[in-house]
Amino acid sequence: MTGAETLVLLIQIWGAIGAVVALGFLTVGLGQIDEDARGAVTFRPLLVPGILVLWPLVLWRWWVLATGRDQWPLRHAPPRRSHRTVALIMAVLIPLTLLTAFSIRQDWPADIAPVQLEEGAPQ
Amino acid sequence: MSVKYIPVQWNKFKYLYDAVILAGIMGFLWVFVTLTPGILGYDPAINPQILNMRAFGACAFFLMTFILLIGPLARLDARFMPLLYNRRHMGVLTCFVAYSHASFVIGWYFSFSPIDKYVAVLGTNTAYGQLLGFPFESLGIFALLCLTILAATSHDFWLKFLTPRIWKALHYLIYPAYVAVVAHVGLGALQNQQNQTFGILVVLGAGSVVILHLLAARHERTVSDPAAGAGATETWERICAAGDIEEGRAKVARLANGDRVAVFRHDGKLSAIANACAHQNGPLGEGRILDCLVTCPWHGFQYDVTNGRSPAPFTEKVPTYNIRLNDGIVEVDPEANPPGTPVEPLVINAEAGR
Repeated sequence: MTGAETLVLLIQIWGAIGAVVALGFLTVGLGQIDEDARGAVTFRPLLVPGILVLWPLVLWRWWVLATGRDQWPLRHAPPRRSHRTVALIMAVLIPLTLLTAFSIRQDWPADIAPVQLEEGAPQ
Repeated sequence: MSVKYIPVQWNKFKYLYDAVILAGIMGFLWVFVTLTPGILGYDPAINPQILNMRAFGACAFFLMTFILLIGPLARLDARFMPLLYNRRHMGVLTCFVAYSHASFVIGWYFSFSPIDKYVAVLGTNTAYGQLLGFPFESLGIFALLCLTILAATSHDFWLKFLTPRIWKALHYLIYPAYVAVVAHVGLGALQNQQNQTFGILVVLGAGSVVILHLLAARHERTVSDPAAGAGATETWERICAAGDIEEGRAKVARLANGDRVAVFRHDGKLSAIANACAHQNGPLGEGRILDCLVTCPWHGFQYDVTNGRSPAPFTEKVPTYNIRLNDGIVEVDPEANPPGTPVEPLVINAEAGR
């Protein structure tokens, strides 16, 4: 099995586990941990893609809320203070990326004779 | 939220907002697909699949660029604030546009071989050790995964379930996703030199994102949320002179612990609450007080400034702070009270309030 095949298989397994978690969470867990969800059914299918992708996070938050471990003060500690760091990182990475991209462009004349770089695999 | 969840909370403004975005996307795709082949004169000519792939790819890039411009623009000039209001819908549409781009790529370049097309995408080019010919598809796949997470967690349920702190941290993925998309475009589409227009537009778009985010970060530190000073006693922190706060408005300051506090003046009295809205951490201190309620400028959530609670039937709460006046200077105890704790408003005497 190649690396790419293994990766595709792992993604399928991840999605399958997510589907089982989605089934349990949307039918049993949701109503237990969120009073606003009780009796609200039509919005539940919208949550399926998020659960498929983030099922470990969903299981963790489900456990935290169901066992009363949620810490309300942490709800008000926004990560906005990180914005400056993010802006600085982007200011380095984006120009660097574009400079690299433009510098490796092969802008030879269109009529240059082709050159074989290496031998191809035997047919 | 504190009312029953529904799939989408539509209102007149959201209908209008979404209609404008949809019209913009349709218009962009129409111009790209019908007009640009004639203008650019592709040589050799490209087939409809490749044209569609390029149209949706370019559309996704410019949508992401526009989304990333909204935040800093709104920070720098309040007139851009309405664009923030329904940005999440634009993000979801961007995700759909990006998936359309990916499906055209896979459907044309990876579908006509005995290998499974998804295995082919991941395994055809694995030259990760070189820049020229780098498998730029993987950068696009990473960005698509980020956009999927953002779109899939865009419902208000996720905010409450994950907490705004985790939700917001998750949505910071937009930044690595954008850098990955710039690299995806740079090592992919920009290597084609038939036409320079797209390259110029990419540089202008990405450059604007970088410059505006730097300007917004600077503005936040120097103008909108300056650092609080040391108070008269060790623990309390100095915000500003009481007279500097306009009636119905707030002054925001960054405390030494990194939290932001908003000190409001209402009916000649002062109250302090956390600057982060319980909904999406919007800047409450930039809102105006009406009937003792401050309205978050991002999405209209309201709080009583004397206790940090939303009016019934809503149940959102934000932390409050104890404040005092010292020679006409407002000082805050940086230790926040639990969310929703009532604090008696501080009366400003005539001398201090000028």
